[in-house]
Amino acid sequence: MLFKISLSGIKARWKDYLVLFSGMIITTAIFYMFEAISTNDKFTTGSPVGQSAKFVFIFGSILLAIITLVYVFYANNFLMSMRKHDYGLFMMLGAKSGVISKLIILETIAIGFISTIAGIVVGIGFTKVLSSFLASQIHMSLTDFSAFYMPAVWMTIIMFLVLFMIAGFLNARTFVKTSALQLLRSGQQSDWKQPKAIRLWIQAVLGVLLLAGGYYAMYDIRKLKLMAVGIGLVTIVLGTYFVFNSFFVMLLQGLQYSKMNAKGLNSFTLAQLKFRIRDYTKILSVVSLLFALALGAITVGTGFQSMVPKLAQGNGYYSVALTNPSSKLKSLVGDIKDKSTVTYQQKVDPKAKRVYYNADQLQAQPLKYSKFTDRAALKSRVSTATVSDLKKTDSNAYQELWSLQSPITKSFQIKIVHANTFNRINVKANKLLLVRANNVDASAPTLTKITNIQAKQYGSSGTQLMAGSFVTYQLLKGIFGSLEFMGIFLGIAFLAMLASCLMFKILSGAASDKIRFDMLNKIGTRRSTLKHSIILQIFGLFTIPGILGIIDVVFGLQMFSRGGLLVGGAYQTFGVTTAGFLILYLLYFMVTVMIYSRIVVPKTKVEK
Amino acid sequence: MTTKIVETQDLHKIYDKNSAKPYEALKGISLSVEQGEFVGIMGASGSGKTTLLNILATLDQPTSGSVEIDGQDVTHLTFNQMADFRSKKLGFIFQDFNLLETLTARENIGLPLSLQNAKAASIQTAVTSAAEKLGIADLLDKYPTQLSGGQKQRVAAARALVFNPSIIFGDEPTGALDSTNARELLDTLTHINQQGVSILLVTHDPFSASFCKRILFIKDGKIGDEIDAGDKSRNDFYQEILEKLGTFEQ
Repeated sequence: MLFKISLSGIKARWKDYLVLFSGMIITTAIFYMFEAISTNDKFTTGSPVGQSAKFVFIFGSILLAIITLVYVFYANNFLMSMRKHDYGLFMMLGAKSGVISKLIILETIAIGFISTIAGIVVGIGFTKVLSSFLASQIHMSLTDFSAFYMPAVWMTIIMFLVLFMIAGFLNARTFVKTSALQLLRSGQQSDWKQPKAIRLWIQAVLGVLLLAGGYYAMYDIRKLKLMAVGIGLVTIVLGTYFVFNSFFVMLLQGLQYSKMNAKGLNSFTLAQLKFRIRDYTKILSVVSLLFALALGAITVGTGFQSMVPKLAQGNGYYSVALTNPSSKLKSLVGDIKDKSTVTYQQKVDPKAKRVYYNADQLQAQPLKYSKFTDRAALKSRVSTATVSDLKKTDSNAYQELWSLQSPITKSFQIKIVHANTFNRINVKANKLLLVRANNVDASAPTLTKITNIQAKQYGSSGTQLMAGSFVTYQLLKGIFGSLEFMGIFLGIAFLAMLASCLMFKILSGAASDKIRFDMLNKIGTRRSTLKHSIILQIFGLFTIPGILGIIDVVFGLQMFSRGGLLVGGAYQTFGVTTAGFLILYLLYFMVTVMIYSRIVVPKTKVEK
Repeated sequence: MTTKIVETQDLHKIYDKNSAKPYEALKGISLSVEQGEFVGIMGASGSGKTTLLNILATLDQPTSGSVEIDGQDVTHLTFNQMADFRSKKLGFIFQDFNLLETLTARENIGLPLSLQNAKAASIQTAVTSAAEKLGIADLLDKYPTQLSGGQKQRVAAARALVFNPSIIFGDEPTGALDSTNARELLDTLTHINQQGVSILLVTHDPFSASFCKRILFIKDGKIGDEIDAGDKSRNDFYQEILEKLGTFEQ
């Protein structure tokens, strides 16, 4: 009987349950998606850096599991805030606590089971879409990869069922320990206390100092080495917590003393925000740290990727070299925009194993070569080769010319001779066409076609010996491509999780906020003013951890650029990735505002 | 000549009008409250008194009939106009205080003025003066959780008074108070009324009602009876209310 009643309770609040379910399904889907990628051997062993990638995935998995735990905890709180009243009533009417416990455990596990199964299905879809999208973005092939992966399914089911079982027992315990009366009234209680000024000051100073210390540690990675990561982790976590618990509260308090406070609903908005931030300290700290991790992961991932053209072009000035190009190859070269080309004549003497070049020609249209001036910063200089440079076999100019030889002549010696001597050599002259694509990324598809034709021409053994820096580009792409893939993937997963967490925490407070908004409505607050206040409050809760997260990343990237991991500076993709990241974050913000408003803004009673 | 603060004509309110079982909560109520009056509305649960109060307070609109408050017809206002009207003309005191626990007493009292975008300095003056009238000037910087029930209700009363409303609506304002605090609040309301503020009190408590000057009894959505305190002592009026209730609810 009670089971039936409790089922009807769910029916009555199906809209709230819909929010709960959609959140749970998305969390499960993200977890599955992550597991499917990280535990999938086909994927990790198939890529050049698969093994080291796997390690990072495992690390990410653990982080994701921790945040999932937090998430389930909040979602569960939301669930309980909906059910407390009903169950309190049952107990008031004489239901035994044992029966209630069973019901609660059953309900929690049932919700967990349904959302886990649905989440896995959605997760498979997510994995398929996201993996193929990312692969196409970074020109990577995922031939062996399948979105459905049984070990990941099991992993997800076990993880979530265990979590929900724990949650169910915890819930049951809460009910057995609290009296029916308290349960009935739980929605009306408020535990707001004005924090003490001295404590606020101490925490604010400590928080800022800890953050500064952590940032410095990451900056000084050259001296501190691995210690920097450890120090950074501890000080930033603690610092973030204290800053939320005090610094922002004080900031809001400052605003409250200003004239602004007396305008419209500002006093209410500021007070709510201040109350919220202290109440939300833990979740906001987690959100801010996750935000940093997510944004950091994406930035580092794309940073690796953007290194590739610079690394490749620093290694060699010309992208491809074509010996006696066919008309098809010529037309492909014609397709490349923004390029410079040069053609030299060469004569090959296979017996003496020599390749001859005309000195006059090399003087008239000199060869260019590039050389790293600062390898750590990925800075290279382009120079013009003189004939005397080209005669020295240990010079950079000679190396460049050597690298541009076809696989057949790679082992031959290069000889620069006068025009007369060159003309006297009784062999048919070859044409060597050198092509420099200034934008390698944009020309990659065409250049790939060219190298594919060449690979066929010279056979597979010649591939490694192929001329030009584009081969290096392709090689590096393969290595860093999976790093980028992983970075973006991790980033999106973290973002989705942290934003859902924040959303739930805000929504789970909506029921008790409703009373406040009702009162404001009664004393004559316009609905637009109420909505404005809601937007400001939620905006504050989203922005503050976001700002701190971005600052974390700005300093965290120091570790990569100064530590030499991300050559050429980690900041070049920072702007773009942050912008993209913020758009996703903004979407979550808007959804939260919408759902929250729907719950708390009083509906007009006009019914004629 | 006295002016009418509230006047209703033949108010009807039907819930679920288009359903199979429409419910008529108000069945043609006409009443008026004059400037400076202290009127009580009594009735059992389900008699329609909350519906009536919601309509008078522009929180709800009638199905038919008209409501004029301070000379303005409020039955055809938009949602925003209703909100603005409430913020300028109507003071409220509720049973459960309805204070915002995250704001100090001062901020709670000043909130209606902030909503009207009054200047910070004039808000301060108005808040201090309202607080002095209610004897809570020394509590202004405390939070609701630091106040007793009676103090909270006086803060709520100060909030209702702060912008000099045309009328104050009380919805069982003593419902959550003990007898001493209830008595104190009623004395305060009488005091406010004597200064010329009109009050309309909805209650089912005869003791609270005995502080009013005139009482309307509602039953099944209609005004069933009306009694006037006239020159009677409060005690005599209280007895009269009890007798009336005894016969009226039969």
